[in-house]
Amino acid sequence: MGKGRYLLKRLIYIVFVFFIISILMFWIYKSMPGDPVDIMLGSSKTTMKPDAYQALYEKTKASLGLDQPLPIQYFAWMGNMLTGHFGYSTQYKQEVINVIGAPMFNTVLLNLLTMVVVFVISIPLGIATAVRKNGAFDKSVQVLTIVGYSIPTFIIALLSIFLLAVKFPIFPISGVRSAGSTATGLAAVGDMLWHMALPVLVMSVSGIGGITRYVRAAMIDVLRMDYIKTARAKGLREKTVIYIHAFRNALIPVVTVTTWWVVGLFGGSIVIESVFLWPGLGKMLIDGLLQRDFAVVLTMQMFYVVLSLAGNVIMDVAYTMVDPRVRLDG
Amino acid sequence: MENENRKVLLTIRDLKQYFPVKKTKLREKQRYVRANDGISLDIYAGETLGLVGESGCGKSTLGRTLLQLYPQTEGQVIYHKDGKDIDLKSLPKEEMRVLRKDLQLIFQDPYSSLNPRMTVGQIIGEGLVSHGIFKRGDPAMKDYIFKVMENCGLDTYMFGRYPHQFSGGQRQRIGIARSLALNPSFVVCDEAVSALDVSIQSQILNLLSDLKEKQNLTYLFITHDLSVVKYISDRIGVMYLGNMVELAPTEELFANTLHPYTEALLSAIPVVDEDDKRERILLEGDIPSPVNPPSGCKFHTRCRYCQQKCKEEVPEWTKVGNNHFVACHFPLKHKE
Repeated sequence: MGKGRYLLKRLIYIVFVFFIISILMFWIYKSMPGDPVDIMLGSSKTTMKPDAYQALYEKTKASLGLDQPLPIQYFAWMGNMLTGHFGYSTQYKQEVINVIGAPMFNTVLLNLLTMVVVFVISIPLGIATAVRKNGAFDKSVQVLTIVGYSIPTFIIALLSIFLLAVKFPIFPISGVRSAGSTATGLAAVGDMLWHMALPVLVMSVSGIGGITRYVRAAMIDVLRMDYIKTARAKGLREKTVIYIHAFRNALIPVVTVTTWWVVGLFGGSIVIESVFLWPGLGKMLIDGLLQRDFAVVLTMQMFYVVLSLAGNVIMDVAYTMVDPRVRLDG
Repeated sequence: MENENRKVLLTIRDLKQYFPVKKTKLREKQRYVRANDGISLDIYAGETLGLVGESGCGKSTLGRTLLQLYPQTEGQVIYHKDGKDIDLKSLPKEEMRVLRKDLQLIFQDPYSSLNPRMTVGQIIGEGLVSHGIFKRGDPAMKDYIFKVMENCGLDTYMFGRYPHQFSGGQRQRIGIARSLALNPSFVVCDEAVSALDVSIQSQILNLLSDLKEKQNLTYLFITHDLSVVKYISDRIGVMYLGNMVELAPTEELFANTLHPYTEALLSAIPVVDEDDKRERILLEGDIPSPVNPPSGCKFHTRCRYCQQKCKEEVPEWTKVGNNHFVACHFPLKHKE
């Protein structure tokens, strides 16, 4: 069986999983306490006569489709989701689709920059420490990475705010752009990058810690292999041996962590975005939950489901690219 | 064989290779595994020198140290090339890298010694590019690789395949093709057939002999299999615990064994002939630790002829006959 057939199979499987999860989520949100009609009508309950209120209540309930049995409601909701109608946000008084764009852009931007920083630093660092295994350089990097990756991000966040924004006010404490800024073009981009510096720094610290250790471990495993000795015996340059022969093989385990990390990046970080008041998806999710804005929360949950399911397939395809022994079939 | 004026390709003098043992206590004295403990040897151009000994005696280490794949601890390895004598230990890395074209290695395990992410063509071609024999992307290189593959009994359609798609014997042929593509003068075959079936072994051994004739190669053939070494070698060296104990032309070694260890080793070759009632000499005990080798002759703990002198004095490496060397205080006497 070829690659195409395998991917088709996976796709069908994904669709099944997607619907099963969506049913579960829908059911969970429906069984949460709080009557949406009651919340919507709000103060009318106290000002209207009970009979009139009851009539209005029934009418609203019917107009929202909430008088239907749950399965019918599910299909209606699902149909809307699939056609791009994600519902109405009670918090923003707008369609969800209109409010979700800006935070998604903010989150992706922040995470993409973090990812670049993390890879640019941690991959060469991991390779360098593996090559100089057990030397002074390796040991100090080992200590630093374990510190970076075990300190909770909110502590690093607060520390860096204290140091780099309060004691030495180099970077702004929070936000996306300077208050009242009317800059356009390059200046606006610069202003945003300046605001991104601290959150990116904080997010990079734990990422660098983890990925460096992972790259190092994978490289050490590979450098022990016989084919590395073969490569040296061939008379290849040490650079070729390390970057072409060793690193390309070390990529195989690194792909696993990286894929999940990439998928996670789009989720946004609730902690970082709350600390730095960065209006991204993480902040939106927590606000939505606190405000009982279920249309927003449910939409985002479904987005995460799709993301992780897609991550699985992307990982499989990535494996075939880095390791010719892996074939997609069966 | 008897002509002593043959051209020497490699001169090895007092070669030592020690590996540090990891310390278990903080203030412990650094100890070493003495994998090669003073080996002297000449390798002649065009010969096949067999190297035998039980596991852990330092045969593979010798082969790899010769090629400077380990940082050599002490001694000299002199490579005689075009009238020049090159001490490999003193060479800077880049010059050694260039010389690797001449000094090649075939590995024991054909499964782990080929990079799983490279095609056969890449595996063979990489060395060619690295040594400037061909430029990257030179169309003539493909023809050359095809020729090498055919010489080694590989079909050309295998060019674009990956190592995991081959059997053990085919993989070993890839390893051989890879090292011989560079046109080396000296090849270390490190247990090159040990991982293969007996039927495949003979194919590979014949292939190696043919290629040796064609390309005028010199082999250092490392193995623990005595029947293999008897079949392929011109001379045989016997190693025990990091030292060479006996070295002689193959016929001579079998006919006129001098060292008790060689005697015990040879008696272990299975025989088919029922009338051949040789005494099987069993060595008692395990090979001693190379970290703390026994005093005097290292073999004295297991030697059935051991005497007081053996425990105290290290036997000299002496020439006893035509091309026959032995390190023993009391070499065996043969009834003539």
